[in-house]
Amino acid sequence: MSALQTFMLVVDHDKEEAKRIAEGVAQDVESKKTTLIGIVQQLGEYINDEDPILRGKAVSFLTSVIKALPPKFLTRQQIQVLTSFFCDRIEDGGAVAGLDTLQKLDRFTKELAAEIAQALFSHFQDLQSRSQSQRFQVYQLLNELMSSHRAALRDMGETSLVGIVDLMTGEKDPRNLMMVFSIMKVVMMEWDITNHVELLFDSVYNYFPITFRPPPNDPYGITAQDLKGRLQDCISSTRHFAPHSIPALLDKLDSTSVNVKKDALNTLIACIHSYDPDTVSRYSITIWEVLKFEILNAQEEFLSESSLQALQDIAQRLSEGVSQVSQDLPLAQYLRPITKECNDQLQEPQQKQAKPAQQILKSLSSASVFAFTIIVQTVVAPIFTIYQEADGIAKQRALIETLSVLFESAIQVFGQWTTRGGEVTLENPLLEFKDQFSDVLGQALMGSAKEEVSFRVTALKGFLRLSTLRDFFQDNEIGLFVQYLDEILLQEESTGRNDLKKEAIAALAEISKHKPRLIMDITFPAFVATLPDEDDGTNSTYLSTLDTLAQISVERDIFETLFRRLFSKLTILLQKEQPGAIEYPRAILMTLLFVMQQRKMDTDPSVDLYFDKIVIGLCRSASESASGKGKNQILNDAIVLDTLGRLCNLLVRSVSIQKQQQVAENVYKLFSAAEDFVPVPFAQGATADQERTIIISTYLLAGLSKDCSTYIPYTSPHMSELLSDLVQRCVSETSEPATHLAFLRHLALLVNKFLSKEDLSIAEKLFDSLVSSEKQSYNPATIRTIFWLSKALVLRLAPTTTHVLTSLLGLLSSPDQQTSTSTARGFSILLGDDDVVSTTNGASIRLLCKQRVFTTVIPMISSRIREVNVAGNDDSESSKALDHIKPAHLTALAGILSTISTALVMPELPTLLPLLLQSLDLQTSDSVAVRAATLDTLAVIIRDNGVAVIDKCGHVHSLVVRLLKTTEIKSDVVNPPRLRSDSLKCLYLLAAKQTPGDSAGTARLPPSISPLLPEKIQVLRSLRAVLDDPKRDVRKAAVDARSAWLRSVDDAPEDED
Amino acid sequence: MAEMQNSNPTILNAADLPTRSRSTEKKTGDYALGIFAAVPNPTDFLSSDSEGDEDLLEEPIDEQEIYDLIKSISDPEHPLSLGELAVVSLPDIFIKPTLPNVPSSPLQTVTVLITPTITHCSLATVIGLGVRVRLEQSLPPRFRVDVRIKEGTHSTGDEVNKQLGDKERVAAALENGALMQVIGKMMETCQ
Repeated sequence: MSALQTFMLVVDHDKEEAKRIAEGVAQDVESKKTTLIGIVQQLGEYINDEDPILRGKAVSFLTSVIKALPPKFLTRQQIQVLTSFFCDRIEDGGAVAGLDTLQKLDRFTKELAAEIAQALFSHFQDLQSRSQSQRFQVYQLLNELMSSHRAALRDMGETSLVGIVDLMTGEKDPRNLMMVFSIMKVVMMEWDITNHVELLFDSVYNYFPITFRPPPNDPYGITAQDLKGRLQDCISSTRHFAPHSIPALLDKLDSTSVNVKKDALNTLIACIHSYDPDTVSRYSITIWEVLKFEILNAQEEFLSESSLQALQDIAQRLSEGVSQVSQDLPLAQYLRPITKECNDQLQEPQQKQAKPAQQILKSLSSASVFAFTIIVQTVVAPIFTIYQEADGIAKQRALIETLSVLFESAIQVFGQWTTRGGEVTLENPLLEFKDQFSDVLGQALMGSAKEEVSFRVTALKGFLRLSTLRDFFQDNEIGLFVQYLDEILLQEESTGRNDLKKEAIAALAEISKHKPRLIMDITFPAFVATLPDEDDGTNSTYLSTLDTLAQISVERDIFETLFRRLFSKLTILLQKEQPGAIEYPRAILMTLLFVMQQRKMDTDPSVDLYFDKIVIGLCRSASESASGKGKNQILNDAIVLDTLGRLCNLLVRSVSIQKQQQVAENVYKLFSAAEDFVPVPFAQGATADQERTIIISTYLLAGLSKDCSTYIPYTSPHMSELLSDLVQRCVSETSEPATHLAFLRHLALLVNKFLSKEDLSIAEKLFDSLVSSEKQSYNPATIRTIFWLSKALVLRLAPTTTHVLTSLLGLLSSPDQQTSTSTARGFSILLGDDDVVSTTNGASIRLLCKQRVFTTVIPMISSRIREVNVAGNDDSESSKALDHIKPAHLTALAGILSTISTALVMPELPTLLPLLLQSLDLQTSDSVAVRAATLDTLAVIIRDNGVAVIDKCGHVHSLVVRLLKTTEIKSDVVNPPRLRSDSLKCLYLLAAKQTPGDSAGTARLPPSISPLLPEKIQVLRSLRAVLDDPKRDVRKAAVDARSAWLRSVDDAPEDED
Repeated sequence: MAEMQNSNPTILNAADLPTRSRSTEKKTGDYALGIFAAVPNPTDFLSSDSEGDEDLLEEPIDEQEIYDLIKSISDPEHPLSLGELAVVSLPDIFIKPTLPNVPSSPLQTVTVLITPTITHCSLATVIGLGVRVRLEQSLPPRFRVDVRIKEGTHSTGDEVNKQLGDKERVAAALENGALMQVIGKMMETCQ
């Protein structure tokens, strides 16, 4: 059997084998054992066969052989002969592939390309009746010719143009269309199409709008959007289409389908971008006439937005190459009917249609400086006329809003004071009206009745925009505005929601970025002058003054001024014998703290100055106060020390390592001269004043880098003694609450951050000495110490973490009720966020610690509660004694849940949900916090995951019943308003979140009956009574819950369309 | 929906609508304000939070609360609320005891007067029904709801009032699926 015959036998079922045969023959050809002529002659008996399959196989054989030949093997003449041969046989299978192989060869010529194209056009009149894959091959060959031999095709002129259109007409397969559209686009852009514009346009526009929807699991990954994009490229490819495309697309806006309208608008925008300005100009007014309706009678927001975009794009195109504004510009002609329409609509500016008119002005005036100028010239003067004649404030406000819209465009076109580059040479047309703006806005802001807050806010915002607009106002004009703002803040009584003051502060802060000098020269003196020397208790307006100063002082220069002024106030206060109320110095410190938190202190060049003044200076003063040498008691106050500590903490974190080492050495000494002051650790019989300095020490310690640990006093050779001393102070119940907390944090910081891995056993021993198994009862201070020590260990995931957690749970079951209750509350400390032991302060907080605690503790709590439940059933004396254990465990659970994210909770939900439900069963007043935390957790679970997760655990009914119970007001149950409204919120979420947010996976499920349906009647009935709750917020929550159940709980979920 | 009847009504600014001024008005000298709220007092984790006495204070249902219930209903014609269109307004809401002669009776009657945006608005009945349905769903059973067109603001006000006041006709209207769909859509914006 010849190679040809074998090939024809195997080609259907074994492609590899067929390929091998062809390669063998190709080698023979190469080594001259056989000739191509010979092969073609061999084909002879098959290629005239009546069976097309047989013919196809025979041609495929030749194709396969050619494919296997090296690219340079065939001579030009051979290529020519083969091309002619394949072209003759083009309808037979394999011929197209053969041609594809040939045209890739170097020796392939332009003439041959034309020959192939001609063959395609004349033999494939019936292309659309062939299979998709055959059509695909033909398009692919055409596409290859387009990319490699485009000139040849183009030189064929009309023949190729019409031929290609004929080939593709009627094509429906998305894969083929993707290729067809890209071939067509080349023809449209590079051929001379003048005689065939309509033919070409129709050939692609027939496909508009594309309604294709990919089948599920589409292997080809072609989306409707891909097709839309290619089609859009074709329609927008050449300006010659404009007479056809633009009217046709505008017609499509009459469609009832918003999707069709959306596609039409997008294509229109593409045309505007791609056609030349002259063409765009010709249709600009027609387009406006049609799009006007889409904007004024907005059907869908996005249609109105796209329409505005189209109008803006036209204005941008028409601005190209313009260098001077004149009324003869196509741009001016285009804008004329638009500004007229807007002026008409703005006659009654508080009516509904004025809004879209404003939007039109906004998008067009921001298109270019020329568009802006033309619009301002025609619109602003009429607005002033209406303003003068306006009969009410509502109307005036609407007009100022319109002006503000123009100011916003001005900022886009001309930039702000802080904008770099992009200077515009044209003069700002608003300058002509500058004085008028200043008058009208000033009058509206300062001259109208004080209670017209929203009117004044509108004027303020307009004024602010003009003040930040580059090269518009002179400094003295902005200064006037700043004075108005100062006056509002300092002299006016606040009314209503304080909106005006808030806006005034925001405006000053904004101006401080652009014109810091004005703020320093005008606002600062005015505000600082109102600050008293001391708080004599008569007047505390300094708080709002400081508040304002803090918010406008974030800029560097201004902050330096603020710091100097406030620090000197503080220094004077510290020197006074009678410094007045403690709130004042504290407020000053808080103001400094607030601004420093807003700024990046570690890059501030003045940070060393602040460090010297505050950390060294004030800490030293604090140490003097502690030893009774202060002029007054300010720095003996715990709250002041706490604020000062936070400030020091922030600064210590921002300074160099050398300075930090200095701080480390002074952590306890507080920069005091050696003899005057006794540091807290190891001090015997320290006074409360002395002990209180531990607050500052703790904040200083927290700010230090870990590398400074060797400089901390009392830590070498190891920390053991320091830690023991601290523990002793922690467990004693004599210190003040703030001092006590500082001791606890100090202990935790040392163990968590500074104790080396090798020395960890010191802390573990301390823990074990605190929690000894013989002891039955502990005082609350000891419990707290245990928890803070545990926190330090657990956060760094010390090797003993599991042991620590087990011990803590053991304390919960203590027969001593006091111990058990304090322990239960302590669980919120474990993972709770703390300002001192925090990531910001470099504490070692391992990523997995929360998960570790949760997965260790939850099963233990769950099984313990089960034990208690079982024991509780036998009613014996011994079980009565353990009554407190279950609530204690539930409290501990609530404490942990309140400190971890629900994402961690979800895998444990089946274990957890029964526990949460039991928490809701608690009814006493001391369980309020537990129930509130439980409801919070439930709310987050339901909000993020929907009712389905609860249904999966089979607890919908139990949950609904308990939630309803918590909404009741009864004499024997303590349900404060907060619990009532929280549980109503859960009920609301149940109904509102029946499908989880990401429903992609479940969307195709058949509609099922809501698991809430059996509860509906009961819920609606019970909530009807809650509608009469004495508290307004509860009633509001009940209304929301009830309407959600009425609306959303139905037999079957609504079909989404 | 057919042609709009009033395509360009006057709109009130949402910020200008009457709201409840917070009863616990913050004084200017309050530490809980502004930047000072950001720094917590050094408190103890274990101190149990106490509920204030104000829990016992009763807050009866008043006109503002009724207004808040209905102001966010959408107009069937515009994507705007009844409050913004001034179809409902605070001075046109009244709460009175249903039986003034029986002081101990808890029954109350809520009267809401509706001002259509134009005098021949055929959707007035639908708006009235919407307000009625919203209030009946949101008020406790001891409240009677009375929704009417404000005198002199509608050309066929009496007709509409008859329809809105007639229990049978309201009930019949609420059986109408298409109508309920419109009303449901209007109430979607109520939160």
